[in-house]
Amino acid sequence: MSFIVFVSIFIGIKHLVVPESFGEYGHYRAKSLNDNKERIQYYKGEEKCASCHQEAFDLKDSDLHSEISCEACHPPMINANTDCEVNPPIIKGTIEFCGQCHAMNLGRLKKGVPQLVIEEHKGDQNCIECHNPHAPWELTE
Amino acid sequence: MGTNGVNKNRRNLFQTSAALLGGAIAGTLLKPLEIFSQTSEETQEPNKDNLPLWGMGVDIEKCVGCGKCAEACKIENNVPKEPFYFRTWVEQYTVKNDGEVKIESPNGGIGGLKQSVPDDDIFKSFMVPKLCNHCSNAPCVQACPVGATYVSPEGVVLVDEAYCIGCSYCIQACPYGARFMNPFTKVADKCTFCYHRIKDGLQPACVEVCPTDARIFGDLRDKKSDLVKFLQKNPTEVLKPHLNTKSRVFYNGLSSEVR
Repeated sequence: MSFIVFVSIFIGIKHLVVPESFGEYGHYRAKSLNDNKERIQYYKGEEKCASCHQEAFDLKDSDLHSEISCEACHPPMINANTDCEVNPPIIKGTIEFCGQCHAMNLGRLKKGVPQLVIEEHKGDQNCIECHNPHAPWELTE
Repeated sequence: MGTNGVNKNRRNLFQTSAALLGGAIAGTLLKPLEIFSQTSEETQEPNKDNLPLWGMGVDIEKCVGCGKCAEACKIENNVPKEPFYFRTWVEQYTVKNDGEVKIESPNGGIGGLKQSVPDDDIFKSFMVPKLCNHCSNAPCVQACPVGATYVSPEGVVLVDEAYCIGCSYCIQACPYGARFMNPFTKVADKCTFCYHRIKDGLQPACVEVCPTDARIFGDLRDKKSDLVKFLQKNPTEVLKPHLNTKSRVFYNGLSSEVR
C-alpha cells in the first residue's frame, strides 16, 4: 500500500517538475528550438542593401571587391529603411580599417589579398583619400 | 520445508524475471531510447522529415585573419564585448625556424591579426578560425545534468537558455573551448550556427561577412550544396578526431600543429 502511495507521489512530482514539451524530439525541451529561432537578425545580406544602393552595389560587384559583402565593412542596420538615414553607414577608410586585411602579415601573404607595409606605402594618409573602396583601382590622384 | 517449497520460490523468481525482461524488451521496441537515436551516423540515416543537416567548412588556405567573422558574431548574437567572450574567433599559428609554435589570438582576431614574430624567424604562419564544432556525439550534451543543451534535429548544438541552471559543466566538457558563461544571462552561451538566420535561408553572420569566402556553410545532405562541393574538392579534416566527437566543422589545409 505504502509502495503505491510512494509511486503516485513520485509520478505527481515528476509531472510538475518536467517542463512542457520535454522529450518530444529528445532529452530536451522541444519549445527551446523556437526560443533559439526568435532572435533579432542584424545582418540583412547584400540583396537588402542593393534594394536602395544599387549604384554602389553594381560598382563594387564589377571590381576586385566583388566577393566581399556590403556588411563586411559597413555596420549592419536592424531596420535598414529608417536607420540608414538616421545613422548613415559611412566608414572612414582609415589605415587601421583597411589594414585588417591589407597590412603586411606573413600568415596571409600568399592568399591573393595584396599585402602592404602601409607606413611605407603612403605614410599617414587615409586609404580612402586615393582609393575608391568599391573599386580599389579607381584612383583619385 | 521440503524441496517443494524451494522449487516454488525458484519458479516464482524465474517467472517474475522473465516477465520483467519481456516487458523491458517490448518497451524498447515500442519507444527506443532517444539517447541512441542522436549519436548514430546521421548522414547515413533515412531523412524522414526532409530536414537539412547543417555543417561548416573552413578553408585555412583562404583565411586572412581579418577578424570580421568574430566581430560580426558579437554584433549578431549580442556577445559581450570583453576580449574573452567569443562564439567564434581566429587564432594565428606561427611556426618559428627553431620549431617552436606560437599561438596568438589578441581580442579573438577582431581588428585584424598582427604578426608579433620578426619575419626572419618565421618558418610558416597561418590563421585558424575556431567555433563550436557542432559534434553529433557532443560531450557537452552528455555532461549537461538537466537536458538544457542538445543536438537539434538539424544537427545544431543549442542551449536552452530558459532551462540551463548555469552549472558550467558543459564548458568544462567541451574539448574545443567553444563555450563560455554569459555574464548577463548567467547561462552557458555558444555558437548556434546563427539558428535564427539559417531558418530563413540566410547565412550565419560570420559566413556572410567573410571577405575571402574562407567559411562555407551548407546542408550536408544536399549533394548540390556549396559545402558538399567543398568537401568533395578538398581533403578535409575535423579537429581532434581521436575524441570521436563526429564534429560537423571541416577544415581544409589543417596543419598538425593545430590543437
